[in-house]
Amino acid sequence: MENFIWLVPALPLLGVIINTLLGAAALRGSHHHAPGDSHDTHAADHGVHHDNGVRRVGWLASAMVGLAFVLTLVMLVQLLGQEAKVGEENGRFFDITYWQWMAAGDLRIPFGFLIDQLSLTMMLLVTGVGFLIHVYSIGYMSHDPRPTRFFVYLNLFIVAMLMLVMGNNFVMLFLGWEGVGLCSFLLIGFWFEQRDPPWAATKAFVVNRIGDFGLLMAMFAIWGLTKNAEGGALHSLVFREVLAPENVGSLQFVQTAFLGTQYTAAGAIALMLLLGVTGKSAQIPLFVWLPDAMAGPTPVSALIHAATMVTAGVYLVIRTAPIFELSPSVMNTMALVGVATAFIAATIALGQYDIKKVLAYSTVSQLGYMVAAVGMGAYGAGLFHLLTHGIFKALLFLGAGAVIHGYGDEQDMRKMGGLRHKMPRTFATYMVGTLALAGIAPLAGFWSKDEIIGHAWYGAEGGATHRGIAIFLILSSMLTAFYMARQVAMVFFGEQRDKSIHAHESSPLMIWPLIILAVGSVLGGLINLPGLHPLTSWLEPLLGEEAAPFHVGLAAVVMVLALLSGWAGFTYYRRAERRIKATHRDPLHRWGGDFYAIFEEKWGFDSLYNAIVVQPYKYLSNVLGKAFDVVIIDGVVNGSANLVGLTGRGLRTFQSGYVRSYALMFLVGVVAVLGYFVLR
Amino acid sequence: MNDVSTNAYVLLSAILFTIGVVGVLTRRNAIVMFMSVELMLNSANLALIAFSRARAESDGQVITFFVIAVAAAEVAVGLALLVSIFRAKQTTNVDDVSTLKG
Repeated sequence: MENFIWLVPALPLLGVIINTLLGAAALRGSHHHAPGDSHDTHAADHGVHHDNGVRRVGWLASAMVGLAFVLTLVMLVQLLGQEAKVGEENGRFFDITYWQWMAAGDLRIPFGFLIDQLSLTMMLLVTGVGFLIHVYSIGYMSHDPRPTRFFVYLNLFIVAMLMLVMGNNFVMLFLGWEGVGLCSFLLIGFWFEQRDPPWAATKAFVVNRIGDFGLLMAMFAIWGLTKNAEGGALHSLVFREVLAPENVGSLQFVQTAFLGTQYTAAGAIALMLLLGVTGKSAQIPLFVWLPDAMAGPTPVSALIHAATMVTAGVYLVIRTAPIFELSPSVMNTMALVGVATAFIAATIALGQYDIKKVLAYSTVSQLGYMVAAVGMGAYGAGLFHLLTHGIFKALLFLGAGAVIHGYGDEQDMRKMGGLRHKMPRTFATYMVGTLALAGIAPLAGFWSKDEIIGHAWYGAEGGATHRGIAIFLILSSMLTAFYMARQVAMVFFGEQRDKSIHAHESSPLMIWPLIILAVGSVLGGLINLPGLHPLTSWLEPLLGEEAAPFHVGLAAVVMVLALLSGWAGFTYYRRAERRIKATHRDPLHRWGGDFYAIFEEKWGFDSLYNAIVVQPYKYLSNVLGKAFDVVIIDGVVNGSANLVGLTGRGLRTFQSGYVRSYALMFLVGVVAVLGYFVLR
Repeated sequence: MNDVSTNAYVLLSAILFTIGVVGVLTRRNAIVMFMSVELMLNSANLALIAFSRARAESDGQVITFFVIAVAAAEVAVGLALLVSIFRAKQTTNVDDVSTLKG
């Protein structure tokens, strides 16, 4: 089986190639009508035939991801059959190098895959949820003019994400890291003829670059500073070599100074990795790109901006945990960043009216939970929440997509209401996702969120407790229940507020993925059910982390608080329903007042960045454009052109058109050359 | 056979070459210019033959045949051009054909 590992990313790549080459033909082949043939039935027929083309392209793309998922499952069975021991003798991995990818000096970068418990878990999430979202997209994109391009990008994203989690060295990880960033950019800006998507795509790309810079610097530092047991330099960036205890430990003893402060190399590298994490996983201070990224098609929001790509930062932390472990202060910083993001994003979600924006800030908030968890050293809990969140947030986004799709592409919750009668299946699955996200037992979110909060409150075995972090995580979980109750009340309950829109249920192709994901959201807790802890014990050989005990009292308190908060939110918005109008502010504004205004304004992050980064940048560009560009750059360009012109004007007098003067010049030239050689 | 010294041949060659150069530079009739060019080529041939004989090697003689062949080709092309020019302009004066200039 290990010989076929390369097929997992190769299959989606094959999808990319086939659809790129043949996709246009598949779409064209489905049109049987001559252009200009326009009677009433034509429009309907056209839609049907276009549908066929979309189905061909979409099913091919989905099948490739589905096959990759099956292969990953086979690999899981294979790994389970191998012996797992803690530490060095851990037998459950494949580390396969295919060829030497690049060589520079004495640095050798292989092209190879590392399949261990961590990467296989991520691969299952990426291909599994990815497959469902591909299928859903066949329905969602059926009326889009460019479905081939969409599925090519989507498949390409799966390839890049698999590279990220499967790569056996930092450079492969970086390849995937940049690849998913590129696909994210392309898919956010997919509807580039509209006003917002291109801006949002650019914003996401630029903000991500800041994080990528951190990752790149960390890679350079790891290569430059890590020494092996004999004190010699390392010649590769392979995880199993760099992160082996005897090598990574050397980072503790190297000191670097930065801005007058002394750091160990491990601390500096961990800090730079953390910058990468805040970029990709949308943490404070770099989270601002993710909410805007909702300008892309909804399946993209579900796949890239909720379930998979944004979790790459959490994956990075778990993968490079040996480096973070050397620097407790950076770990603490990370936990604080995570909990601050979880809380602030949850408050911002209260003040949003766009159905997708609420989910976007909710995603940022839940990513905060994961980052806080891994910051406290609870890697298993972080990965557990990553998995369950990947399932139920994909469900919520796809549900929101079904609402938007079936409600005339309207996204403003203030114009919705009462949709539970028109979209019963969407409503049912959405409720499952909501309860899972709010952390209501026995759904998936309850178990994973509780594991994080429990770890924060009681600490690991013999480890420090983080009571302050725990309190803010509990507050965030109450806010989560509140904003989800608000959303459900505004979208699905009461009266339909915009009567002009015809609401309808979505096609089975879109409903089935919702149902499967809903089942996953119900049963997801089984992945790491207290008492059994399958996930923790599966990861134990890799992380050396033992299962934490389950604290019934704390879990019950957290859940009751979430229920109360959710109930309060639901009742409040049901009662205040007649005050919900598209032209009015939120009913909560009367109570919250200025606080609520802060939430609505997203704590001023966007305005702050606009004031300190964007405006100075624009001013500088303006100055440089007017002074530097016009005077110096244009001066050089025009100057060189003028110089050539003047030279030509001088030389043209020699070309008189008289043959005899040419002959004379020729003679003079020959005599001069000969004279030089004779006389010198 | 060795009555005439190599110096004399080279001198004759130089004189013929100079006459050719002066002819090319001073005359305006294209046919006369051609003849002058032929004179220059043949003065070079003479020098080649003279050196070839002095060194008792045949290289110079071989090159001379090449020069004669190339000169024949050159004359063929040149005269063809000249006929075309004459048809277009009714003249063989090269100074009248000076429109190609900067």
